[in-house]
Amino acid sequence: MTALRVWLADQNPSSRRQARLGQLWLAWLRIRRNRLAMAGLVIVGALLLVAAFAPWISPHDPLVQDLSRRLLPPGTAGNWLGTDDFGRDILSRIIHGARITLYIIALVAVTAPVIGLLIGTVAGYFGGWIDAALMRLTDIFLAFPRLILALALVAVLGPGIENAVFAIALTAWPPYARVARAETLTVRNSDYIAAIRLQGASAGRIIAGHVVPMCLPSVIIRVTLDMAGVILIAAGLGFLGLGVQPPLPEWGLMISSGRKFLFEQWWVATMPGLAIFVVSLGFNLLGDGLRDVLDPRSASR
Amino acid sequence: MSLLDVRNLRVTFATETGPVQAVRGVSFSLGRERLGIVGESGSGKTITGRAVLRLIRPPGRIEADAMTFDGQDLLAASERDMRALRGKRIGMVMQDPKYSLNPVMTVGRQLTEGLRLRDGLGRADATAKAMAALDAVQIRDPDRVMGAYPHELSGGMGQRVMIAMMLIPEPDLLIADEPTSALDVTVQAEVLSILDALVRDRGMALIFISHDLRLVARFCDRVLVMYKGRVVEELAAANLLAAQHPYTRGLLNCLPRIGGPRGPLPGLDRTGDWAT
Amino acid sequence: MSLIEIDNLSVTFRTKGREVQAVQNVSLSVGARESYGLVGESGSGKSTILRAICGMAPVTGGTIRIGGKTLPTPRGRAFSAQVQMVFQDPYASLHPRHTIDRTLSEPLAIHGLPGSDARVVQALTDVGLPPSFRFRYPHQLSGGQRQRVAIARALMLEPTILLLDEPTSALDASVQAEVLNLLNRLRADRGLTFLMVSHDLAVIDHMTDRILVMQHGRAVEEMSRDDLAGVRMTTPYARSLFDASADRLLL
Repeated sequence: MTALRVWLADQNPSSRRQARLGQLWLAWLRIRRNRLAMAGLVIVGALLLVAAFAPWISPHDPLVQDLSRRLLPPGTAGNWLGTDDFGRDILSRIIHGARITLYIIALVAVTAPVIGLLIGTVAGYFGGWIDAALMRLTDIFLAFPRLILALALVAVLGPGIENAVFAIALTAWPPYARVARAETLTVRNSDYIAAIRLQGASAGRIIAGHVVPMCLPSVIIRVTLDMAGVILIAAGLGFLGLGVQPPLPEWGLMISSGRKFLFEQWWVATMPGLAIFVVSLGFNLLGDGLRDVLDPRSASR
Repeated sequence: MSLLDVRNLRVTFATETGPVQAVRGVSFSLGRERLGIVGESGSGKTITGRAVLRLIRPPGRIEADAMTFDGQDLLAASERDMRALRGKRIGMVMQDPKYSLNPVMTVGRQLTEGLRLRDGLGRADATAKAMAALDAVQIRDPDRVMGAYPHELSGGMGQRVMIAMMLIPEPDLLIADEPTSALDVTVQAEVLSILDALVRDRGMALIFISHDLRLVARFCDRVLVMYKGRVVEELAAANLLAAQHPYTRGLLNCLPRIGGPRGPLPGLDRTGDWAT
Repeated sequence: MSLIEIDNLSVTFRTKGREVQAVQNVSLSVGARESYGLVGESGSGKSTILRAICGMAPVTGGTIRIGGKTLPTPRGRAFSAQVQMVFQDPYASLHPRHTIDRTLSEPLAIHGLPGSDARVVQALTDVGLPPSFRFRYPHQLSGGQRQRVAIARALMLEPTILLLDEPTSALDASVQAEVLNLLNRLRADRGLTFLMVSHDLAVIDHMTDRILVMQHGRAVEEMSRDDLAGVRMTTPYARSLFDASADRLLL
């Protein structure tokens, strides 16, 4: 272990890979000092583990109904979080729901920021009418309330998890474009951009190799902070019956179907609600911690 | 009788790769005179200035055997005591007025703020005092400047405003951290002469922090030369050209001179014991 | 024949209805292998002239010729193989996320030149940096070291002209001496032509043969280095710059 540490801490790396890993390790040390960020990391890590090992850790099958065991309260033997109106174990459904949540988050995280980054950097770098056109496009998408646009898309394409993701991604990219454009405008006037232009680099090389790496920290932080919102929108769509379809154990859908029993059998809606709360909190804490680590202090000096 | 007494000052910063000692045992005492602290970047000169005012935030840590200002122990003083000292008895002028003046407040408001909040003066009195201060730094049109925002002023003007602002409460000690480094050469001379006159007239003590040995020698009575957190030489400004320490000599010799020889400039020999 | 010829150059910046004439009718010429200095205070337009040569400033009048030929807009690859620039702020001129190796090999990649491995190591050695620095990031280097990398980068394409925008004003005095020495050595070794901007008369005196004093975008006085050393300037502004120079404080 110490040999690896020494290799990472080497002041004179002998390859690009070693240099990059060394920097990542230093970033890790910095984030480790932030307790709240570590808490966030633990929560997100737990989500990943739960999702990965769902079939093995979940005590019951999430889809099997047992009408003789309907609406049992939490603390019942064998159903630690109680059962819902079809007798399905809530804990198992939450565990399997983590997979769905993760799937949605992952899909959105690889599409929306990428689109936003592309549009934002191109708009910021070229300026002029390209900037104006792309920003107006961004404004158009920003003007739609997320849920309404998602509703409209789902109405056209039909309900289902992929369409829900598509709808969410389509409304999630504009803020990234804005953030990327703002960073690009700052970066554009830097000496290092002037230097690479003077070497005869094409706009594509400059944007991809020089501008995007400077926009990444803001975008990454934004992504983690947005994840909470994405989960909630997916939950909202599920709640409205437009996203994931029953009997899949998506958390929002669980809240929706538990609505009927909210006063008597509160756990049916509250437990998935708590799950959403905890995961959103985790991402928020992680995002804040990442901001400290990726802050411009370390980027520019 | 010394106004400021600092013994074995140490400032350490805790970083993720271990503690970094920015100041390693600096001692000096200051009467009603001008002390220059000279050093290159990383020498710890700015941190020394800020440590006197206890302006170092965690993860930085200030330690010293003694640090007293006019009999008052600066190390043991509470944050409240320090607030009473800062500005009122010890002032600080920083390098770039673009960054040290509040960009969203007019100059007049910034000048009178301290007077009204700290000294409880009414608006008319505070304004009169502010105008007098601007006059003292030779600003010819104080009315316009009072109503202007910092970005509307030139560098030299902004720095003069900064000096006026720091001198209003009539401190006993002024710490000037590279006050002219961000200014053009012709403006530098002007601002320095204004500072010079004010310090002399009011009998203030001055700590002048700079990287420019020539400036400090011309402007101060005594000079401390710092390198990597330590004081390597202390001498009277008048004796600068007769400096003994290899680092000071090296600093003097490595500067290009107008009309000087065009061969390679002598570099700094960092192999001595003092260089660790 | 002059290598750089600037005739009646004017540069005007237009922002939101306001016009700023950064450079007004400035002419100068620099011979091959000569070192020419531009001196002035902030706002004098000296740095703007360098940017205009690189095609990064809005030229509104006059011409710039390199080697007798007017420059194409955009400047193109041939220009970058001929003219390169060293910027003022070592903390801003290297990409913070690229290793030194990437910064130095990129110009070669852009121009499709082979052998970047060996050439990067050679470049580091030429500017006095150990080859072990190759995969460091800029924030792991001191200001002086970064400036050396910036110089190495400028020389990767083997230009004939080097534009220097206050290359040492952000550096400590002792480091400045080293970098100035390096620049002089490289110029002698490679027969480079320098066009150097500075506000420090002592640095200009040490590095250049002829000097143009500028103020508020205009050329005030052109003199030789000997004129400066012998205090034979003819205009009061040039004289005031000389008097205010920190170099004079040591007398």
